[in-house]
Amino acid sequence: MSNLRIINLTKKFNEVLAVDNLSLEVADGEFVTLLGPSGCGKTTTLRTIAGFCYPDRGEIFFGDKIMNNVPPNKRNTAMCFQSYALFPHMSVWDNISFGLKMQKIPRQDQKKRISQVIGMLGIEGLEKRKPGQLSGGQQQRIALARAIVTEPKILLFDEPLSNLDAKLRVQVRVEIREMQKRLGITTIYVTHDQDEALAISDRIVVIDRGHIEQLGDPYTIYRNPETSFVAGFIGLANIYEGTIVAKDGSRYTVEAPFGKVVIVSEGQKIPEASKTVKFVWRPEDMKIYTPGAPNRVKGKILQAVFMGNITDIFIDVQGNKMRAQTDESRKLIAGDVIEFSIPEDAFSILRR
Amino acid sequence: MVSTDSITKTPLHLIQARRKRHFYLLLMIFFVIVQILWIGIPILMAVMWSLVDPENPWSYPNLFPPSFSLAQWKYVFNYTNIGRALRTSYSLAPLAVFLSLVLSLPTSYVLGRKKIPGKKLFMLVVLLPIIMPGMVVALFLSRVFTAFGLSQTFFGLVLAHTLMSMPYMIRVMTTSFQAIPQDVIDAAENLGANTFVKIKDIFLPMIRPGLLAGMIFAFTVSIEEFNLTFIIGTPTFETIPTILYSFMGYNFIRTNASVVALLMMTPNIIMLFIVERFLKSDYLAASLGKM
Amino acid sequence: MKEKEISPIDILMLIPGVGFILLFIGSSIFLTLVQSFGLFSITGKSEFTLENWKAILQAKESMDSLFFSLKMGLLSSVGTLVVAFPIALFFRKGGTGKGILGSIIKVPLFIPALVAAFLILNLISYHGLVNTVLMRLNLIDEPLRMLNDKFGWGVVFIQIWKNLPFVLLIVMAALASIRDDTIDVAKNLGAGYWSVLFRIYVPLAMPGILVSMILMFIKAFGDFPICSVAGPVYPSSMAGRMQIMATIYQEWDQAAVLGVIIIVTAFIVIWAYSRFAELFKGEV
Repeated sequence: MSNLRIINLTKKFNEVLAVDNLSLEVADGEFVTLLGPSGCGKTTTLRTIAGFCYPDRGEIFFGDKIMNNVPPNKRNTAMCFQSYALFPHMSVWDNISFGLKMQKIPRQDQKKRISQVIGMLGIEGLEKRKPGQLSGGQQQRIALARAIVTEPKILLFDEPLSNLDAKLRVQVRVEIREMQKRLGITTIYVTHDQDEALAISDRIVVIDRGHIEQLGDPYTIYRNPETSFVAGFIGLANIYEGTIVAKDGSRYTVEAPFGKVVIVSEGQKIPEASKTVKFVWRPEDMKIYTPGAPNRVKGKILQAVFMGNITDIFIDVQGNKMRAQTDESRKLIAGDVIEFSIPEDAFSILRR
Repeated sequence: MVSTDSITKTPLHLIQARRKRHFYLLLMIFFVIVQILWIGIPILMAVMWSLVDPENPWSYPNLFPPSFSLAQWKYVFNYTNIGRALRTSYSLAPLAVFLSLVLSLPTSYVLGRKKIPGKKLFMLVVLLPIIMPGMVVALFLSRVFTAFGLSQTFFGLVLAHTLMSMPYMIRVMTTSFQAIPQDVIDAAENLGANTFVKIKDIFLPMIRPGLLAGMIFAFTVSIEEFNLTFIIGTPTFETIPTILYSFMGYNFIRTNASVVALLMMTPNIIMLFIVERFLKSDYLAASLGKM
Repeated sequence: MKEKEISPIDILMLIPGVGFILLFIGSSIFLTLVQSFGLFSITGKSEFTLENWKAILQAKESMDSLFFSLKMGLLSSVGTLVVAFPIALFFRKGGTGKGILGSIIKVPLFIPALVAAFLILNLISYHGLVNTVLMRLNLIDEPLRMLNDKFGWGVVFIQIWKNLPFVLLIVMAALASIRDDTIDVAKNLGAGYWSVLFRIYVPLAMPGILVSMILMFIKAFGDFPICSVAGPVYPSSMAGRMQIMATIYQEWDQAAVLGVIIIVTAFIVIWAYSRFAELFKGEV
């Protein structure tokens, strides 16, 4: 029994299609991230789940109850905003207790639950302060406390870490994930940051222009992207199209613009009749050529950027541009000729 | 599993949503109609009263005047001091605007761009003409004027109108001056601009919207000013407000009052459209709201 | 925007604006105060006395006027707020038609107070439109006395009509400063319509609400023309009584006492505001 079901969700804003026939099922206790660039419809979807946005078409189910006409204050979801949205005129304690007050929970129980959550998030001692007197990280934790103390059925996050500095972001995202695992609340998390999505999700939903590009766990999304959008949005990608010259089960010999490659693909299957194939591989999969290695590629270095632990290289292979990343320690300079090899299973076949 | 009655009827939640939308639309239409009546009927009544034919007087229980004529307008212009009042009002206003502009500019510059100790106090003082109840100021300022021979003089009236315009002028211009980023000034200086150039090419153009807004406020304030003009000016001088007041007092002639009321209103309504079209209404809220 | 340090020229530049206002307002308030105690009297001798204060405070007419003006101030400010607040909330959402509605609502702002008084006067007079319509609809047997009535309803109505856009603008600006996120999160945590209204909207809009209420109160409390035209014959407003005292009875000293009372009331209201505003401090 899935906890959350979105069926054919469509939403238009002034002639612009924000969400286009989106369907999704989320299991109980799952941490699902909606990932995509700005304006792709992920926030609109989130707000529809929360009840702030009314669908033009489609249904939202919590369990087997249809939620479309249930107002946001009766949905038992809890949302954390990018701006934290703490009540500026209330103390930290009053902020956290707000949801419990709305649920008419008796004072004694309120106290117990709030103290527990404060302990869990490490924000003791701030109870009497007002939001304006707190740092960004503290405000974020209080927003979180305020959400989880109400024991919601679904926890929603709208880019909660965007306003924090990089180091804090990494720290807090881990805290969020740990806490979610401990409490087991179904969580929908919206972000445009691919690192965040990969680090903390059970499943990632990659969204572009209102529709789902690909759905899957982080490993699959990264190693087996199905579209060039997904390949390019998460991690770095070299994308090419080539003609199929030979085929042996799931082993394809492809004539690409830069030469012949052999692709072994367990993921996407190519339709029998197809003559061409679009494929991608990641720069970090390219290894400096050693004799006997598969898929030998030779080119001239256009630019080599030494970044400490890796070197980022742009090469020209017979007029085709390619990007590689290697941890080889020797110094590489522009103008040098270099040879790489690409493992046969490093490729992913794209369907568009 | 969507709750429907049958396969052909629309789902309940869509019906509910539609009802909600219709409700808001109806509410909106209701509001607009109420507003139009609320604002329109008073104005319409005044228009109708000004057009009453003296041959066919309009009285209860008629809902409309039996016939229309421009007789009242002719009467007011020929037999009352409306011409004089118009001249006085419209010669006072530009002078008051000019004087308040000249006096306000330096003050607004300092208040907007410099760190003055006790700035809050100064801003409060600037607001005094608005806060202080008008009739009190009118009565006792007139005594001060009398002592200095300014009572019942045109110059005295100019001073009085300037006084009432200045709070608005200063507030709006202070906001304008404040809004100029210091970086722009620094850049100009860095490129060699002296004080004269700074004023001419940087400050003046950048405060122009505020300047215009302030001038429109000041003009409107002067045209509408009653309390001080009534005490200091009458009976030697009459302005449109004072003459309207006289038509509403002991000799309440509704038809005369209607004509004058409309005369008084029209330039203001024109101002309304100018303000709405060319200036942002943020100025209004900003200058009044930030207390 | 950096503010540079001050120089003596800056102080000098303050003088035209601030000095002008201070000079004229200051002298008139000074004279009011001082004349109330019998000094600078134009008629008769000039000496410090409390006679004028005694005369005014003991006169029933003065107390009736004071009470009347307070009533007008309170009813006008509260009445306008009660009408303006729902409209401001409605406007907060934006949407179709709000533009036209906004322009129409703003019209009374640009109509001078006296003209507004006249326009409404026309409608609510004994033989005016409102009475005619109500009689035709058989809702009343006799015309209502809404103008120059003892209570002052005519005045209150005119004040609300004239000042609605003014209060509306300020309250709308106050509501606009409330972030949508804050409202959304309150709803998300379970707050129903009334909870959101009283726990979020009202407290956060309070500074704007207070400002508009104070300005309206002072204006309505110290009003002269509207009360004189549409108000009851007795009691007159404080300002009306003061004006008659001064210009008709030539009792300037007693008029000064009334003037001081008016000014003091205005200051008390402003002081109460700054105290009250402290309670609602919460900027973010």
